[in-house]
Amino acid sequence: MKNPYLPLPMRLVKNFIETEDNLIHTFTLEFLREEDEKSFQYLPGQFAEVSVFGTGEAPFGIASSPTEPGHLKFSVAKVGVVTTTLHQLPEGTILGVRGPLGNNYPLEEFKGKNLVVIGGGFAFTTLRSLITYILHPEHRGDYGDLTVIYGARNPGLLLYKEELAEWEKRSDINLVCTIDRPVEGWNGRVGFVPAVTKEVAPSANNAYAVICGPPVMIKFTMPVLEELGFPPERIIMSLENRMKCGIGMCGRCNVGNKYVCKDGPVFTRAQLNQLPNEY
Amino acid sequence: MLILNQDQLANWLNQLIDTYKVFAPVKDGDHYTFKEISSGNQVTLNYTNTKVPPKEVLFPRSEKLFCYRHENEGIQLEEKIDESKKVIFGLRPCDAKGFLLLDNVFNNDKYQDPYYLNRRKNTVLVGLGCNQPATTCFCTSLGGGPFASEGLDILLVDIGNRYVVEVVTEKGQELLSGLNLPAAEPEAQEAARRVKEGAALSTCINLDGLKAKLDVIFYDPIWDLIHEKCLGCAACTYSCPTCHCFDIVDEAEGKEGCRIRNWDACMFPLFTLHGSGHNPRPTGKERFRQRVMHKFKYFVDNFNAVACVGCGRCIINCPVNLDIREVLAEIQGLEVRSDKQ
Amino acid sequence: MDDITRAIQETAKNLLLNKEVDVVVGFARGSLPLRNTPCFVRQPDDVQKLIWGYGCENNLANYLRKRPEKIAVIAKGCDTRSIVELIKENQIDRNKLVIIGVPCQGMIDRKKITRLLAGRELLEGEVKDGQVILKGREFREIIPLNQLLYDTCLNCQHPNPVLSDILIGEPVPVKENACFTDVEEFEAKTPAEKWAYFQEELSRCIRCYACRQACPMCYCEECFADCSMPQWLSKSSLNTQDNIFFQAVRVLHLAGRCVDCGACDRACPMGINLRTLTRKMVKDVQELFGYTAGIRLDQKPPLAAPISTIN
Repeated sequence: MKNPYLPLPMRLVKNFIETEDNLIHTFTLEFLREEDEKSFQYLPGQFAEVSVFGTGEAPFGIASSPTEPGHLKFSVAKVGVVTTTLHQLPEGTILGVRGPLGNNYPLEEFKGKNLVVIGGGFAFTTLRSLITYILHPEHRGDYGDLTVIYGARNPGLLLYKEELAEWEKRSDINLVCTIDRPVEGWNGRVGFVPAVTKEVAPSANNAYAVICGPPVMIKFTMPVLEELGFPPERIIMSLENRMKCGIGMCGRCNVGNKYVCKDGPVFTRAQLNQLPNEY
Repeated sequence: MLILNQDQLANWLNQLIDTYKVFAPVKDGDHYTFKEISSGNQVTLNYTNTKVPPKEVLFPRSEKLFCYRHENEGIQLEEKIDESKKVIFGLRPCDAKGFLLLDNVFNNDKYQDPYYLNRRKNTVLVGLGCNQPATTCFCTSLGGGPFASEGLDILLVDIGNRYVVEVVTEKGQELLSGLNLPAAEPEAQEAARRVKEGAALSTCINLDGLKAKLDVIFYDPIWDLIHEKCLGCAACTYSCPTCHCFDIVDEAEGKEGCRIRNWDACMFPLFTLHGSGHNPRPTGKERFRQRVMHKFKYFVDNFNAVACVGCGRCIINCPVNLDIREVLAEIQGLEVRSDKQ
Repeated sequence: MDDITRAIQETAKNLLLNKEVDVVVGFARGSLPLRNTPCFVRQPDDVQKLIWGYGCENNLANYLRKRPEKIAVIAKGCDTRSIVELIKENQIDRNKLVIIGVPCQGMIDRKKITRLLAGRELLEGEVKDGQVILKGREFREIIPLNQLLYDTCLNCQHPNPVLSDILIGEPVPVKENACFTDVEEFEAKTPAEKWAYFQEELSRCIRCYACRQACPMCYCEECFADCSMPQWLSKSSLNTQDNIFFQAVRVLHLAGRCVDCGACDRACPMGINLRTLTRKMVKDVQELFGYTAGIRLDQKPPLAAPISTIN
């Protein structure tokens, strides 16, 4: 019997300060053993439990893409005990990783479709994974137009700035970054994600929308997507309830009879409409 | 059916102790509890129900999942799987049913919990039928019964100075090998039948249509009031044979540590509190609703069974006498209306 | 008792009819023999649910903190003492609270009955003329009431409400002197014996926190036992020492606030004797600060008072 509680040992090779407020770091982890890397087969949207031995473990969406072999990336906000300790760790520290856990974005269903990816704040991690995956030369041809709308309070709080700059240059992705208020030196859009989505007005025709962000952003973007003609079955969301076991046993992350860790975290709007609002 | 004399019991247990860790009801202050025994004489079988169910033999309130030690350039993990052979002796049929329900959780559609499942596999359940169920018992309403053998390996029926032994599984058969028990003669069988007939339950709850009702009352105002006297402790969940929620923490000193899982409860606010400060179940109302919904709706949705065995412990242990039978009756009394947020 | 029940119902009805309060918290008949259960009444027609008896053991002050609405409470001596402390701690708005005080004759200890019946189930109980009639299958026992009351009640020096707006029933006689013989006996033990005692008692603790939740004074936004930054004590029950540490700190937090109502002890499903610690604290606070919790609204709690005012 495989023990789902045992983490794989990984080495922290990079502890990168992602945002100017220093509250989000991106951690790059390398497998210590080749066989572990082989066994860790994941897809965008899945998450993993990261162990800081001696402090505990916490679940994070995987920000890297399976098209970037050899390492895993997690972008982590400093909020609790595990994350605070994690932020302070020197490169070279041995960590543990359990996973991959949960389901992934429906990449098969996405094939041949246009994609509208909407993200806000630091909930952009698994969206980075998704975008990187789709932009990979092996996969890009499987999908239609890719529109990405990404908002943060100010430019310093956008994640993955280097990649955003690269995507900006490409012709096979329409990247729209926005910040809440005008800032000197910012040439991009200004405005909240729901308003910008309305302006950009991506077509719902033959398209899926994937949306991750703070609850208030989701709340106000949802009507915009509906107006644009996205049916609930083609709006994809990822939930972030508190989790411990990650395997549907410890009982805390349920929304109705579904466990976010095991049955999610990716749900369609249509699925969530059938569940109570406990998330 | 076999027959076992009461005076043979201690001997049998002593034999079992050589091979198995034997857990049995013992008197502990004013109440009874399952403890590992070192002699057959420690067992008390004239109890109605133990304070806490024997669930903790297979799913302890705290257990080490693994321990670790930092070594130069790496980490050594030591898995803490308990492979010992165990017997839970003298448990009630309702508690055995509790294990059947827990099996669903710890062996779900995607994952197996090796800690629980290994113990489960290596544990033999010797049940004791209830000649005199308590007034707080309502197992028959949940498909169980004072002499239900479902989930047990052996069922003992107390007929006075002897036990009629019903062998339910091969595992049970094995436990009796070497004992050479005689077959129960017709007289003993008749006595067992009479005992079973006499064990009537005074309480029943009505589950007809309950699930259909719960399906549509998530947003009903009933939840605003029904939890009102609940204090938000875990006396009910920790004494429930089917509650399985847990927390995972690290305890470490220096280069060594262990990952430990502890019982946790949906009645605690921290249970669902996000790192951001957001809590999907922020007040007693949502938490109490979760407890009822989990047992009587979500568990049914997922496993086609109600997560309650009718043991009555939550009724007896509640510090404010919040009685699940009354809660369910109140829900049953609701006029069903369409559920709107 | 019936008179008191009737008076409670009538008082509650008037308060609700006159819209002086939105809700009355009292006791209703419980689902177990000799047991009453907290009850919230909002409609004048529902006041018949309210009763008074020997099973009104819960401390209803627990339901009064930070209430948005106007509320009336049926309060025994100990409930009112907790209310006094909660008012001083700004947890209760006195202007929105109507205290219906009821002198208390003591409450029946179900654990004592369990011990007495030794495994036999109590099916029916009745109190008559100072005696408790216990009935079960094939037994009927008559026990003097005094033998079945909670130790808290037997020791209680404030059975009459110390603060009330409406008083129902006649004041009951008050014992002269505080009796701490139980604590003194404990104090006489050697440190090793004390440690062994707590080891034994708290090895049963399952960390359900019923004691904390049942205590009207345990209302910290985040209990130290739940803190993770820093983590003061282990969350596991692998080590009894952590259970002892939890209780010890909990009791220290109650210094000068605990009114010895016994709610924690009653709530414990594992039957752990929690009052050894709480009463030791009550006695220490009396001896060190001359303070008895929950007696006077104008007396500052000892740990909040400037040093100079302590006698």
